[in-house]
Amino acid sequence: MKKVITGNQAVAYGVILSRVDVISAYPITPQTTIVEELSELIASGRLNTRFLKVESEHSAMAALIGASTGGVRCFTATSSHGLAYMHEMLHWASGARLPIVMVNVNRALGAPWNIWSDQSDSLSQRDTGWIQLYCENNQEVLDTILQAYRIAETVKLPVMVVLDAFVLSHTSEVVEIPTMEEVDKFLPPFFLEYTIDTQEPVTFSVITTPEHFFEFRYKVQKAMEQVPGIANKVDDEFRSRFGRGYGAIERYGKEGAEVLLMTSGTVTSTSRTVIQKLVQKGYSVAGIKIKRFRPFPSEEIYEAIKGAKKLAVIDRNLSAGVGGIFAQELRASLYSREERPQVFGFISGLGGRDITPDLIEEAIHYTVEHPRPEEEILWLGLKK
Amino acid sequence: MTKQFTFKSASEMPEISISRGHMDWNKTGAWRTQRPFYEDKTAPCNAACPVGSDIVGFIQKIAQGDFEGAWNLITEENPFPGICGRICFHPCESKCNRGSFDEPVAIHALERFVADLASTLPEKKEKFSAKKEEKIAIIGSGPAGMSCAYHLAKLHYNVTVFESLSLAGGMLWMGIPSYRLPRDVLDREISNIEALGVEIRTGVLIGEEIKIEKLKDYQAIFIATGAHRSRGVKISGEKGRGLFSGLDLLGRINLDGKVKIGERVAIIGGGNTAIDVARSVIRLGKKATILYRRSKEEMPAFKEEIAEALEEGVEIRYLVNPIRIQQKESLRRLECLRMKLGEKDESGRRKPVPIPNSNFFIKADSVVVAAGEEIETSFLPKRIGKREGIVLTQNDGRTGIEGIFAGGDLTSNQRTVAHAIGSGKKAAMAIDCYLKGNDSEDAIRKILVGNGPSISIFRYLHPGERPRNPHVVNYEELNMDYFEPARRERESKRRLKERIKRFTEVTSTLTESAALEEASRCFSCGTCNECENCYIFCPDASILKKGEKISQQVDYDFCKGCGICFVECPRRAISLEEEAR
Repeated sequence: MKKVITGNQAVAYGVILSRVDVISAYPITPQTTIVEELSELIASGRLNTRFLKVESEHSAMAALIGASTGGVRCFTATSSHGLAYMHEMLHWASGARLPIVMVNVNRALGAPWNIWSDQSDSLSQRDTGWIQLYCENNQEVLDTILQAYRIAETVKLPVMVVLDAFVLSHTSEVVEIPTMEEVDKFLPPFFLEYTIDTQEPVTFSVITTPEHFFEFRYKVQKAMEQVPGIANKVDDEFRSRFGRGYGAIERYGKEGAEVLLMTSGTVTSTSRTVIQKLVQKGYSVAGIKIKRFRPFPSEEIYEAIKGAKKLAVIDRNLSAGVGGIFAQELRASLYSREERPQVFGFISGLGGRDITPDLIEEAIHYTVEHPRPEEEILWLGLKK
Repeated sequence: MTKQFTFKSASEMPEISISRGHMDWNKTGAWRTQRPFYEDKTAPCNAACPVGSDIVGFIQKIAQGDFEGAWNLITEENPFPGICGRICFHPCESKCNRGSFDEPVAIHALERFVADLASTLPEKKEKFSAKKEEKIAIIGSGPAGMSCAYHLAKLHYNVTVFESLSLAGGMLWMGIPSYRLPRDVLDREISNIEALGVEIRTGVLIGEEIKIEKLKDYQAIFIATGAHRSRGVKISGEKGRGLFSGLDLLGRINLDGKVKIGERVAIIGGGNTAIDVARSVIRLGKKATILYRRSKEEMPAFKEEIAEALEEGVEIRYLVNPIRIQQKESLRRLECLRMKLGEKDESGRRKPVPIPNSNFFIKADSVVVAAGEEIETSFLPKRIGKREGIVLTQNDGRTGIEGIFAGGDLTSNQRTVAHAIGSGKKAAMAIDCYLKGNDSEDAIRKILVGNGPSISIFRYLHPGERPRNPHVVNYEELNMDYFEPARRERESKRRLKERIKRFTEVTSTLTESAALEEASRCFSCGTCNECENCYIFCPDASILKKGEKISQQVDYDFCKGCGICFVECPRRAISLEEEAR
């Protein structure tokens, strides 16, 4: 069934189709309409899910940690300050190996006050042990939630599904909504090896001395390393069932291009049209969409950039003192490689400023024209 | 203590750390400075009930679907639930904490539901052990006398009730119209008392046929003859044909179902009797006009009764005072004065003051005087003291003569059925103390409901059982996070057209589902109803269960005294006090 729905509604559909047992959330713009939609469905009796009202995002995640340990499928959604407030609990969820799925609608963090799109919130949680998947359009949002539960419950790590504020969250697009029967075949019922059993009480995540803590962290890393293989299999199965797949990254544009443009989120959509136009004009350019940020798809990227001379990266985020986070991660992943193209780190669109086709074209022209970046950070669309 | 083990490699290890050990050795109770404990307290409804009924107790039984349990709990204190559920003015409801939230719980309707449902259950014969030697005489079979008889019979005494009329029930029989209290309900509850072995001798007028002083066979006497003499209005022409006292008229209707009365009936008075008369007159197909000398606000009749009377077509004329009744053949003329309200009098109501030269006439075929009742004292032994229209007694009902007790309307100006039942019960207990040579004042102090004046005879019979702190739980002490607004269940009323044609009951008994709904509205102030909030909130798992249920025991080995159970208890059934050092 095709429907014209917003990104937030696509999230709600994904949650409904995933047969989530427990939702706990606290409202924050631009996420609110997700849980609004879900809580209304629950209140009207059309969705058989338990909704836990809580007084903060910290509690929302804490509640889901309990619920997930209890052996049920869990969901929450948040944004910006809400996500930051959850920070401590994010570490706990991954350390306790709980397959919670959360949607984060990318929004800037204050000060100053701002509610528009910016990746700083999710990227500042990159070290919490969560898998992070970024979405380009509303269809991908719905599909990614279904995939996220499969991945999370296989590797026993939590997944954050990320979409841009307003550009996706509040913008309507045509979305194909699969049937419950189809999704049931794709996503099996929830199962967790260690869950609460009142007949056999135990203490979960009990204090662990230096004797063993190290190894538990090693196991989290090993689980992360399993993600690329498992996510690929899940994506392949998804593609065969539903006719759509996304990969960890996607390369588009000219084969063997010398200049590559790397983007994530909705900027990719704009970049596609810019690159198509430039290729038609005879430019040797191609684009790379990064969907999976954690674990970072180093292998996939390295394969995709072979032969390229320069990599332009557009970051809608800033790690002050360093630069764009995608660019930094990319540089780090290439350092030990034989082929190391120049990385041009552009920062653009902070706090929701539009990243227009003109700006993207400007970034590509700069990259084409310069043998190497003149500065570590290239500011795109800044009023200097 | 615990097993020490070391994994050799990460591959041997599980994905998360789990401990199968326990912390029972760590007695965190030693940290406690404050101690929580379960302590039932008194609900405001219980404290306000002149009978001393455990209202919260029986409503919680209803909520659990244990209707028989509710009946047993009510009848520990009160033999007349079907009657009280219908005609008591329910002071419990005006004190109900729920009234500060949305609307009070419909306690009277719940009591009536239990009584009517219990009457359909198979009868259970209570087995009584051999009776005691002592015989007790009760004079008057109204609510006070019968309540006293009931409790004395349960205390195994031989009880004889003397009633001057041909039927037992006193004011319940004579003074309450059957559209408010159907005869079968009254009969049912009287015969329940008879079934306990109480002998009722009707048609015996004490004072004329037998003098009180001659009742030598009886070791104690309880006098509860009520107040049934019309006080009158003391105006010229008050006595004569076609003139009735309110109680007389009601009594005749109750006995015969009819009475000869004119088309236009004027009723003088503003109390419940005046309203009862007016509504009865309407049912006889006549016109009823109430003449009341003050305004609507001062009217002592119950508001609901006034509203129902008006619905049924009773006319009420306020600020009108008849000063003379003139008679010309069958037609009567009442000369009246218009009144205005002046300063407040000793009753706190504004005093009616005549407007000079405002005389006017009201035509009537019959006139009923229903301006209050007074007691009959001519039959009483001289040594029984009287003052200001009542017989003087001690708190426990003792009169100036040893072995003679008195109660009900005879001894009090609070003349309600509930006060009468309560006073009969107190006298029964006092008579038991008297016959055993015990101090009844001391006994009363131990069994007060809240701070009194009502008593619990259950606690007299079972000292130490179901202890309850006399503290009355107020609205501010409840945790209102746990209650949601809910509509009060209302008894349905018969259609107006049917109501005014006959004396069948106006209101109906709640259905079972409505009663369950209504019972679930009760906050259960001060009484643990096993909601398990304490169990859910306790961070130290220190609320102990007994099987599936809350044991109302705290595990002090581990309770750190954080007080969260005390705060989260919705109904103040948990107390918190400083730990003794």
